[in-house]
Amino acid sequence: MEQTYAQALWKMVEGGMSPVKAVHALRDLLKLRGREALLPRIGRAFARIAQREGKRTGITLSVAREKDERAAKSAVKTILAEIGVEPKEVNILVDDSLIGGWRLEGKETLVDASHKKELLELFNRSVRA
Amino acid sequence: MDASTVEKIVKEIENIAPSHEGAHVGKVVAVGDGVVAIDGLSKAVMSEIVVFEEGKGKKLKDSMEAQGELYGLILNLEEDGVRASILGETSRVSEGMTVKSTGRILSVPASEEMLGRVVNALGEPADGKGPFKKTTMMPVERQAAGVIDRKGVSVPLQTGIKAIDAMIPIGRGQRELIIGDRGTGKTTVAIDTILNQKNEPKDKRPICIYVAIGQKESKTARIAQQLREQGAMEYTIIVDAPASTPAALQYLAPFSGVAIGEYFMDQGKDVLIIYDDLSKQATAYRQLSLLLRRPPGREAYPGDIFYLHSRLLERACRLSEEKGGGSITALPIIETQEGDVTGYIPTNVISITDGQMFLIADLFNKGIRPAIDVGISVSRVGAAAQTKAMKGVAGGIKLELAQFRDLEAFMQFASDLDKETADRIESGRRMVEVLKQKNGAPIPVEKQVAILYAAGHKFFAEVPVNKVTAVEAQFTQFLDAQYAKTLAEIKKTGQLSDELKKTLNIAMNEFKLAHKELFASR
Repeated sequence: MEQTYAQALWKMVEGGMSPVKAVHALRDLLKLRGREALLPRIGRAFARIAQREGKRTGITLSVAREKDERAAKSAVKTILAEIGVEPKEVNILVDDSLIGGWRLEGKETLVDASHKKELLELFNRSVRA
Repeated sequence: MDASTVEKIVKEIENIAPSHEGAHVGKVVAVGDGVVAIDGLSKAVMSEIVVFEEGKGKKLKDSMEAQGELYGLILNLEEDGVRASILGETSRVSEGMTVKSTGRILSVPASEEMLGRVVNALGEPADGKGPFKKTTMMPVERQAAGVIDRKGVSVPLQTGIKAIDAMIPIGRGQRELIIGDRGTGKTTVAIDTILNQKNEPKDKRPICIYVAIGQKESKTARIAQQLREQGAMEYTIIVDAPASTPAALQYLAPFSGVAIGEYFMDQGKDVLIIYDDLSKQATAYRQLSLLLRRPPGREAYPGDIFYLHSRLLERACRLSEEKGGGSITALPIIETQEGDVTGYIPTNVISITDGQMFLIADLFNKGIRPAIDVGISVSRVGAAAQTKAMKGVAGGIKLELAQFRDLEAFMQFASDLDKETADRIESGRRMVEVLKQKNGAPIPVEKQVAILYAAGHKFFAEVPVNKVTAVEAQFTQFLDAQYAKTLAEIKKTGQLSDELKKTLNIAMNEFKLAHKELFASR
């Protein structure tokens, strides 16, 4: 039940209502229905939704080595523009398993230009086919 | 590493051009019991295939050692994500894993190369004989042919089982249910039907597809072995979704089987498909639906359980000449509990199919095999497909057997019987013996006609009941040796002309004279 209330709260805020007003409206409603005790649980569910949404909307650029960061950033410029993300919003992550190249993930989009992916595809085509 | 592999690798490296194509992705937020909840994938469509990205964060070497790609099938589209079933091992999926959309609706490969092979529910080889080289992808879910594209059922599909071909005939394009308790010979009837297709000329022989759903691996292996030994595997494909596979694959297997069948039907070929069995598929679908949190209905089955089977069985049909004239004949199997045919799933499938053959445990235990209860078994369209010869000899058998069953019940209370009743009982007993048949030994239709003609003309009246089967076997051998031309003529024309009847009468008399000792008395 707390999940549903948390979702409703999220939608109210997303819809443009001020957070304070939304929380007050929710508290009034819960009071009316005798469910005020749910508030802490609703708070935790709301935090979970926020975390999930953050993951969904956040964007990560993974590179194999720190020194590849600049090259990767310039390579993803066009893609970022396409998905409507400012370059400064991108989180940079070093993942040495990529071997080389880069990998951009977030906003339901994945662009994998890593050497690992290419080598793996090559291996699968050559050996498993 | 051999030279060809090295060459392949070098060639591939030369062709590498890093692609920057974006994939539509989501993240696994919950996983359990073969079902995953995925956050994201807002553009995904129903029945779309998704790929789980297992390699993220793993070293290249570890990724190379992975067991091939792991797929999922989207089954629920929800407000803030999707739910999908895992088409593989659940243990390979973890929370936070990236899931890639493929944009592909579930399809299975189909080709002539599959004949003689065992494949899994995704159409991948499961017999260790290597991959298929050239295949066509067939959608697992496809709309059944419409009324205009269809043609009436008029060509017989011979099962090689006397009791069925005579009394419950099956036509190409028909759906005939095989129903009964466990251990009553349902699979045997289906396998004998596959074996009998060997008696058909190659150009008219149906491609057979045996779909094993939730069966023991040992049983499927035994069936494959039997088909191989008897030379039936060359025109058969086995789609195997054993009990050890996830429920999603057991639910998909019949659809994959019919998709492969449609590949052949579209080429104008005839196909025979056996679903062994749909009760287990229904159970797998119930499990999946409950895990997907779909509302349960009667016996906890989801509301669309009828549609699950009707949309599958509707795909069995005979196409019009304009569409190539191919056909799919379906023999679904349903297992009942304690002979109860009024259960939810049995009644659903009975109402969908064009007839049913009931196999009864009592008859089976009495040694009457196949244990078909002719009283409640029926074929709604098959009679139109029966050959004239078979119609001529089999016309009165059902009635005779029904009367015999009534009298047999009455006999338990009456001590004195008039001659007519006693004769009818004796004749019925012999007819029951004539219709008995060993498993794995289907009989070609021309021999069935000859045997039933003889039975209808009191040929076995003087034979002791316990020797009818033996005499029948000897008589068949005699016909094979002495009257092969007559049998060939029956097979060719599909009719029993006066001329052929005369010849059969002569054959019967000759046999009687040669084997007087067999016809001594009752």
